[in-house]
Amino acid sequence: MALQVTDETFESAVLQSDKLVVLDFWAQWCGPCRQIAPIIDELATEYEGKAVIGKVDVDSATEITSRYSIRNIPTVLFIKNGEMVEKLVGAQSKSKFVDIIEKHL
Amino acid sequence: MSDKIESIIGYPSLELVTNQVVEGFITGLHKSPFHGFSVEFAEHRLYNSGESTKNIDWKLYGRTDKLFVKKYEEETNLRCLLVVDNSSSMFFPLHKEPSFSNPNKITFAAYACGVLIQMLSRQRDAYGLSLISDKIDLITEIKSNFGHKKHVFTLLESLLKPYDKESKLQTNISPLLHQLAMQIHRRSLIIIFTDLLSEENTEELISSLQHMKHSKHEVILFHVSDKQKEIEFDYNSRPHRFVDMETLEEIKLNPQEIKEAYQKAITDKIQMLKTSCENTRIDFVDADINKGFDQILLPYIIKRTKMY
Repeated sequence: MALQVTDETFESAVLQSDKLVVLDFWAQWCGPCRQIAPIIDELATEYEGKAVIGKVDVDSATEITSRYSIRNIPTVLFIKNGEMVEKLVGAQSKSKFVDIIEKHL
Repeated sequence: MSDKIESIIGYPSLELVTNQVVEGFITGLHKSPFHGFSVEFAEHRLYNSGESTKNIDWKLYGRTDKLFVKKYEEETNLRCLLVVDNSSSMFFPLHKEPSFSNPNKITFAAYACGVLIQMLSRQRDAYGLSLISDKIDLITEIKSNFGHKKHVFTLLESLLKPYDKESKLQTNISPLLHQLAMQIHRRSLIIIFTDLLSEENTEELISSLQHMKHSKHEVILFHVSDKQKEIEFDYNSRPHRFVDMETLEEIKLNPQEIKEAYQKAITDKIQMLKTSCENTRIDFVDADINKGFDQILLPYIIKRTKMY
């Protein structure tokens, strides 16, 4: 399962991580977010130990959401050494996520 | 159902009637024809004040008080050009008021195009319309938006007019198909409605269809006919006056005397075309104007499924 990231855990789980962090911004009421949720969970299992795969609920984690100016969901951010390196907006196929993860591992 | 709607509203609202036909057709299918190639609802985007409210997800607003806009994948899967033979022979059989329930060939082709557009727009596919006679009378852009749909339906409704014997529009389909094959640059599905009644020989027509295939297009050719009158040549055995609707040439004869020879000639011509189409993987479909629109929708869905 993907790591649930909140405003409180964001600093330690994301910014201080030495691994690639993949953050999925989602909401319970968003259909396309639910569509990619199983893909995010699969990635969490497949890249365990190599990358941090996390999820941010935009309704509760408002600080992170505004920090990255998230206006569309689902949005997936790829963060390395505290810096955003790539961004994917909208429901995407698993292969797209895998390609970007492999590029930055 | 569609007949009733037409009689209530008093004029043939092509868009409304064809929508009913498609609804009925889909309800009758066991499996959704859209499965596997529908365009996905891809994301929610925050609504910006000032922008159009038409794409707001109002159900979500009702549940959560949040204003979000639904965004769909913009890429369309399919581009489709509907080509209608607009020559005078398409106004056969002569009706004072051709209608959905009592069509001549051009009315049938117009409704068939409407039905296909309803299917295409449900899938957010792009479509265009071309009318041809001895020249390309009209060709629209291939688009998928709402305004374009209205425009194409208006053009189709303009085909629902009585036969004007002064127009004498002849068919010269082969060079026009060559021209269309060169004019459409991106791979498209080209659906042609014609009665195949023209002076040109069958080889020329086959060559133009092959050109379309060579340009990577997919082609469905609907041979529109009033089967009873035009293929079976079913007339009673008293002298009749036959008039060529494209040249107004006349001939008086007893149908029974030429029935056998006529049937052989027309069947041979169609068979030759069918065989050539099979060889070049073009779908040749007989469309009898008295048999409704399932005969149009099914071949289209089969083709669509094969393409994607």
